[in-house]
Amino acid sequence: MSFISMEFLLFLFIAVVVYYLLPQKGQWIWLLICSYLFYLSSGIKVTLFLVVTTISTFGVGLLLEQEDFRLKQILKQKNGNLTAEEKKMYKDKSKCRKKWLLAGALVFNFGILAVLKYWNFAIDNWNILFHTEYNHVNFLLPLGISFYTFQSMGYLIDVYRKKYVPEHNLFRFALFVSYFPQLLQGPIGRFDRLSHQFFEKHTFELMRIERGLQLMLWGFFKKMVLADRAAVLVNQVFQNYEEYSGIAIIAAVLGYSLQLYADFSGGMDVVMGASECFHIKLDQNFKQPYFAVSISDFWHRWHITLGTWMKDYVFYPLSLSKGMNRFGKFTKKYFGKHVGRVLPVCISNLVIFFLVGVWHGAAWKFIAYGLYNGIIIAFSNLAAPLYQKAIAFFHIPVKSKPWVVFQIVRTFLLVNIGWYFDMGISFSAALVMMRQTLTGFSLSALTDGSLFVLGLSVSDYAVLLLGSAVIFFVSLLKEHKISVRESISKKPLVIRWALYGILMFSIPLLGQVAVVQGGFIYAQF
Amino acid sequence: MEELMEILEEIKPDVDFAVCDTLIDDGILDSFDILNIVSELNDAFDIEITPVDIVPENFNSAKALWEMVKRLQED
Repeated sequence: MSFISMEFLLFLFIAVVVYYLLPQKGQWIWLLICSYLFYLSSGIKVTLFLVVTTISTFGVGLLLEQEDFRLKQILKQKNGNLTAEEKKMYKDKSKCRKKWLLAGALVFNFGILAVLKYWNFAIDNWNILFHTEYNHVNFLLPLGISFYTFQSMGYLIDVYRKKYVPEHNLFRFALFVSYFPQLLQGPIGRFDRLSHQFFEKHTFELMRIERGLQLMLWGFFKKMVLADRAAVLVNQVFQNYEEYSGIAIIAAVLGYSLQLYADFSGGMDVVMGASECFHIKLDQNFKQPYFAVSISDFWHRWHITLGTWMKDYVFYPLSLSKGMNRFGKFTKKYFGKHVGRVLPVCISNLVIFFLVGVWHGAAWKFIAYGLYNGIIIAFSNLAAPLYQKAIAFFHIPVKSKPWVVFQIVRTFLLVNIGWYFDMGISFSAALVMMRQTLTGFSLSALTDGSLFVLGLSVSDYAVLLLGSAVIFFVSLLKEHKISVRESISKKPLVIRWALYGILMFSIPLLGQVAVVQGGFIYAQF
Repeated sequence: MEELMEILEEIKPDVDFAVCDTLIDDGILDSFDILNIVSELNDAFDIEITPVDIVPENFNSAKALWEMVKRLQED
């Protein structure tokens, strides 16, 4: 069931009405039923994968807790009769058992994800390397598998680290994994921030529903009016890249900047708005990413929950590992304090961005996309002392507005170069497009009408420019800590509903329904 | 505590760790410093600081860091 459908709106309406008619104890059970009905609408077989991940994660969570309990019992029984070495031995043995349990669950669940998503990619590479002709396998790809797998494994690692006690009720845990607004495209939730909200008492408040619908409407506007319209231009140029050069490619890349942001952040608005109707607050996934002043800053603002997942569960363990520690000491000894301090972090970052690339899809172009980001961050970290010296030498006022604007524009440019890999049909196509952008550059494309044969008319471009201006203005206010949503909520009823009316009617009037009617890009992960 | 202060001063010589209690809140320590401190403390005190422990409350002052070290040694 797509979020952009009358079925979904009807489903959400019934779900919300029944939710507030039920007593507190029944509300979370109803949410669980709705979540499974929602997922079952995509097929029974794929639902089995969701069930397997839920049960295996839940079970191993309990086993980890049992192991902690067992150790505590042993230490209690032998209280006072153990030397420090013996105590350490018991602790090490227990830790070792916990590690095996965790590793088993991680390999099993990420194994499912890896096989379903990356098997055919592996086959392609194997065939090229060893001149074999193995065929592709048509696997079912459960919707949102990356999101619910990451969310579940995050929970398990937290339980392993004793951040919180595991959930003891399978059905309660199943709701955490399958909560339907966030199931298909995130945000990747954390158990300690999300789960308790399901079991609190939620009473009906009209204002809350209004605010939820308001956010959903904004998301639909971004997706249907802007993202789907920009997609026409983007698809035309990226899929027929040999035919285009210069400004046509630049227009398509800028169009992709708008498309991807409006699609993903619009999807998040729909998800968060729908969840707000149930009085469940989800983690933020976006924070005005195109106002970032560096690539590192960009990744703190774009798909935030994936970034924090990678930081907590991959970056820290890798950076704090004994091997990395030794490597840091080695580099400090031979290459100086700065390199010793920064290089291990750069390497961990490269691993993270390799994984982020792989997460985006099974293709080398995505790996290139990830590494491109990782390399820029590594380079800027390593070159930081030189950069500081240059800043001091040229007396650049780093806090001045022009300098901040320069940094924002520079970062936006670097982000757009990355989109060549992300959206290009292959790694080599991305490189060809980069070359053609430079070699075929001519300002005459702006006046000879060639931009108007890319699938969009003058009025389409006008809608995109106007829509981008609206998004830019809203983001600018948010960047200055002014919430447009709060301001609208404080306006009189007539003004509020007039604004909603304009937004609501703009979607069927301006929405790109006929030409491109795609699902959300990130729902494919 | 003395050993801790030596480690901190070696990593960030220009900070007065004896008095500062806003090391994270005021951005005095960056992420590289934090990782360096964790790695040095793990080695020096034979403890295992996990990502769960890497929160501002544990890193805002030398005293908070010392409390964390003692707690992890007892665990």
